[in-house]
Amino acid sequence: MNFTVLDWFIVVSYLLGTVWIGLAGKKYIGNVSHYLVAGRELGVYAGIATLAATEIGTITFMYNAELGYKYGFSAFAAALISGLVMIFIGRTGFVVSRFRQLKLMTVPEFFEVKYSRGLRLLTGVLVALGGILNMGVFLRIEGEFLTIVSGINGEYLVAVMAAILLLELVYTVAGGMVSVVITDFLQYVLLSVATIMVTIYAVYHVGWGNAVHKVTATLGEAGFSPIQNPKFGLTFIIWQILLWFAINTCWQTTAMRMFSTKSPETSRKIMMWTGFIYLGRGMLPMLWGIAALTLFGTGRMDHGVPLPIVNGHELPPIDAMPAMLAGILGPGVKGIVVAGMLAATMSVNSSYLLGWSAVISQDVILPLRQLLKKPPLNSRRQILINRVANLFVGLFLMFWGLYYTPPGAVYLYLNITGTIFLAGGFVGVVGGLYWKRANAVGGYLAMLMGAIGAIVPFFFLHWSENVTGFVAFGLAATGLIAGSLLTRPSADKLAGRFSPAGGEALR
Amino acid sequence: MKPWIWFWTGCLLVAGPAFAYITIIVTVRGFRDLLDMFRALGNQHEMVEDTSREP
Repeated sequence: MNFTVLDWFIVVSYLLGTVWIGLAGKKYIGNVSHYLVAGRELGVYAGIATLAATEIGTITFMYNAELGYKYGFSAFAAALISGLVMIFIGRTGFVVSRFRQLKLMTVPEFFEVKYSRGLRLLTGVLVALGGILNMGVFLRIEGEFLTIVSGINGEYLVAVMAAILLLELVYTVAGGMVSVVITDFLQYVLLSVATIMVTIYAVYHVGWGNAVHKVTATLGEAGFSPIQNPKFGLTFIIWQILLWFAINTCWQTTAMRMFSTKSPETSRKIMMWTGFIYLGRGMLPMLWGIAALTLFGTGRMDHGVPLPIVNGHELPPIDAMPAMLAGILGPGVKGIVVAGMLAATMSVNSSYLLGWSAVISQDVILPLRQLLKKPPLNSRRQILINRVANLFVGLFLMFWGLYYTPPGAVYLYLNITGTIFLAGGFVGVVGGLYWKRANAVGGYLAMLMGAIGAIVPFFFLHWSENVTGFVAFGLAATGLIAGSLLTRPSADKLAGRFSPAGGEALR
Repeated sequence: MKPWIWFWTGCLLVAGPAFAYITIIVTVRGFRDLLDMFRALGNQHEMVEDTSREP
């Protein structure tokens, strides 16, 4: 066991405190808008905290560290792109400003506002499918991290996963977005402190010069230049730019924060400042991965990288970073770092649970009821459906996480499962917001062709992630343009809905 | 290789301090934001209750 009594005390205190504070949010829930978008009362700084906490989890640290371990400094390109794209969106208000003016609660809702109810239903199904498959690997990887760092026996992995999920469910189901925002704020502070501490420890322990030397000796030019690295290259960079535009505007959990703000201007500010956090969100854990490579990269070569050897055991590259933390952090510090990682885990998972269950309830169940001519549900019933959807998503995650292991780098698996709906979703959103000619036929074709373009090449033809990404986005764009131009134009449902100054919606 | 090392070192020197600086600002001002949010949600709550009490 790597944990001392002090470490356990810190971690358990944090867990109990979070659940207690999270449950306090329940008293502010009066209607479905409070539950899903916190009554649209989110300010800039709390908004930055909740957006950053939502998209920084143990899973983020793990896959970024894995990228750093496998590809050295070249991996920094992915982090740089994610941050710069976010800053650009914040500066220009691209998509997010208009989204906020429409007062939406979910991304698929836009497809009913612009196109048709049927398309909202299809988008809802694809968003839920891609999102839940995406989140499906979180619990297992987070459980592995915690067992390795704390030194808990690996046979308790399932119990650790179940405990994490249960604690998140308790306050997410009860208080929805309000509880998530409160806990996200605390979790953001804690995870940021942990991130900074680990970075200082890793650089101090390994040494900057040693890290650069190890990457040079192991990977050569490919360890520094993303253009030279065979896994990256120009196609990867272009695909990543496209993908990050889609993620930062149409990813349900990110978009929900934009929908929850006080105004479109607040959304833009949150996006811009969080962009700077995104630079660190990627690069700092990648640096931990490089430090782990420097310390443990002495095993046999696997895909051009030496496997980590820790205490005589060969580990997969993704487990090198937590093994390093278990070794270099002292008592007390380890407790703070693990509490920080738990904070990161819980903030991501609670937001994702809320995000995907919101789509299931608002964009699948409610439109289905309307199509079946059932009477509308009141706010209390809608909240109840959201809570039940939350529980079902949680249960699914537990089983999927236990039985599925992603092939290759986790980061790339997450990219592709996201692309299932992001390709068509992003094309449909941009076309819908900025091209008057876009119609429902084009929207259907974009969603279907984007999903087929992601699923068939990756899961059945085993093409690379870069090519799959291009195919998915290319097919989606072709579908939207061809479908819209070859069929009758429809009335522009968004005419007059946007104010030029980017303020609230005109009507 | 050298230009890339300098480039990534520079990126890290921007990303790390920016991360720490924004954390400090958000910690202080975010707490105030949360209090504002509670107040506004409380007002919304009262309005909903008032409306539901109307005959």
